[in-house]
Amino acid sequence: MKYSYIKPRKKSLFTPEMQLLSIFFGITILMLTLTYSFLLFKDYKFTQDKINIIQEREFIILEIDEMEQRIAFIQKESVLSERIFTKNTVLKDSISNMFDLVPQRITLSQAKLLENGLILYGITPNKDIYNFMLQAPLRSIFHRTYSSFYPAQNGWLRFVSTNYVDKEDPLSVDDDEEEGEDEY
Amino acid sequence: MNINISRQSIYLLSLSVFLLVFVFVFAFSLLIPEGKEYRLQRIELKKENRELRKYQNFSDEVSQRLSDLNSDNRHIIAAFAKEFDAPRFEKLHKNYFKSLSIAKQQKLEDEDGFSIYEVNTTSRINSPKSFYNFLDAVNKTDWIISVNFPIEFKRENEMIRSSFTMKVYTISKDLNTSKKLLDL
Repeated sequence: MKYSYIKPRKKSLFTPEMQLLSIFFGITILMLTLTYSFLLFKDYKFTQDKINIIQEREFIILEIDEMEQRIAFIQKESVLSERIFTKNTVLKDSISNMFDLVPQRITLSQAKLLENGLILYGITPNKDIYNFMLQAPLRSIFHRTYSSFYPAQNGWLRFVSTNYVDKEDPLSVDDDEEEGEDEY
Repeated sequence: MNINISRQSIYLLSLSVFLLVFVFVFAFSLLIPEGKEYRLQRIELKKENRELRKYQNFSDEVSQRLSDLNSDNRHIIAAFAKEFDAPRFEKLHKNYFKSLSIAKQQKLEDEDGFSIYEVNTTSRINSPKSFYNFLDAVNKTDWIISVNFPIEFKRENEMIRSSFTMKVYTISKDLNTSKKLLDL
């Protein structure tokens, strides 16, 4: 039995107002979610970048450390080589000076250069020439000078001159000089 | 007073309130803290980047310094790295002597990353000048060599027989550090 002459319209939950509201909030929530996702992604990216930067920094620090070690080693090599080259040059000058020290009239037969001394073997026409022309300059260079003579076959004198430089002790005053002369 | 609100309106209002509350809760509990975190992370990353750039610049400076040192001391570095080769040494320096003989090298000690070998040498020369030239040449040779005391010169007819010891310096192969430094 009908109570109305019109056909009842179908009722729906999604009325136009409800649809409008849903679209509005849907878009809002979507934007918020997208923003949140973007922030989450960026945070993750930043964390990863930070880890990479820290690793790279540690690698650079290690690299710098190794390079510094290498620099220090090269500097050590350079200093050592300079010291050796200087020592060789000084040695050359010392030998040159030693040979220049010997006068024409005295002939050397043997020379020994020691760390702290010099031993000369040779022949001299007489003792005076030796004393004035060789021993005097030797005395001015070395702290201790010893000379020994013995006659050679041609009437000249063979000599052995032993000369030492005392190691300097900075705490004591170096005023004890020993000089000796032995004759045979 | 009778307020007549339709059921539809109540649904609409409830949904609106619910969604509004959801948006607020979402924004304040997640989005805003995440946004703050994002800002902090970005500032921190910029700081890390600045620091990394500083390290990179410093690394470049050190690398430049190392490369300059390497090029300035190429000869010394190569000389320290080279093993002593007695036949080659004889071949290179025999011009300074009438005869030159080199005894087998003996290892003396390891000192501060360097191995020191001692080589006894006997030679015959015309004049001391040859020996001076040899000492000059030793400083430019392929090895780092120091000529050491005692040095002995002995006259043999018209020749001078000289005997001396040489110390050859090489990078110690026993030390891991030296090896590592060589590899750099």
